[in-house]
Amino acid sequence: MTAQESLQLITESFNKSRKDILRNSAKHFILWGTLLTAISLAIYLLWHFTGKPQWNFLWFAMPVIGYPFAALIGKNSVAIPQNEVSKMLGGVWSVFGAFAITLSAIAVFMVPMNITLIIVIILGLAECFSGVLLKNWPIIVAGFLLGIGGAVFALLVKSEAQLLIFTLSGVLLLVTGMIMKLQYK
Amino acid sequence: MFPKLDPILHSELRLAVMSILAGADEADFSFLKKQTGASSGNLSVQIDKLASAGYISVEKGFKGKMPRTTCKITPAGQEAFASYVEALKEYLSAGK
Repeated sequence: MTAQESLQLITESFNKSRKDILRNSAKHFILWGTLLTAISLAIYLLWHFTGKPQWNFLWFAMPVIGYPFAALIGKNSVAIPQNEVSKMLGGVWSVFGAFAITLSAIAVFMVPMNITLIIVIILGLAECFSGVLLKNWPIIVAGFLLGIGGAVFALLVKSEAQLLIFTLSGVLLLVTGMIMKLQYK
Repeated sequence: MFPKLDPILHSELRLAVMSILAGADEADFSFLKKQTGASSGNLSVQIDKLASAGYISVEKGFKGKMPRTTCKITPAGQEAFASYVEALKEYLSAGK
């Protein structure tokens, strides 16, 4: 091999591996985006047509359905390794999940609070951080707009209409996953 | 005087394996096989050579009931890889 060929081989191997790792992370965005869109829309419609806010307990179905599916994604025939970026992405969204589930439980069972406002802000932050890690401006801007716009919307709109923020957030996660798949094709 | 290229790294398959491991925490044998397109036998031989040189560590275990071989670059491997890239750059800059 010449020096040129060696460097080319290093660059190609490194980039191909990086792309495969990050394309695998995109599956998680698509999974959680689809779930968030479907569940928020279902709760919105059920609450809207029955007038019962108790349908909000369906939120707890999200981790129950999502985590087994996320584990299935990890069980590829070829185990996809982690790199620094995929690990940090996983960390950001795990922290978001921990905050969202704990705060929701506190809001439901202990201290009532405007949970939509809080969750949409941390969701926007998590999306922004993801964009920073992926060096992707559309994701950064979308996260910023979601956090700020969603917070204003959550303060202005009451009851079941607030759920539509999460439907939009779900679509945004789904689109982020699609962008990642295209970026690392 | 050009620096000598490390003969352990100056092989197509071993260099590809090291490049993949330099950008990942660790990688399964199956992932390395898919990425490099090498045969299992050839890949095993090259992985053994890299492990013997102390450039990677190899851990054999099980994932469920399936045997699993995981490779990870060592600090010595990272250093050797960085030196190799530096040496390549010197060759290329001298050629300009």
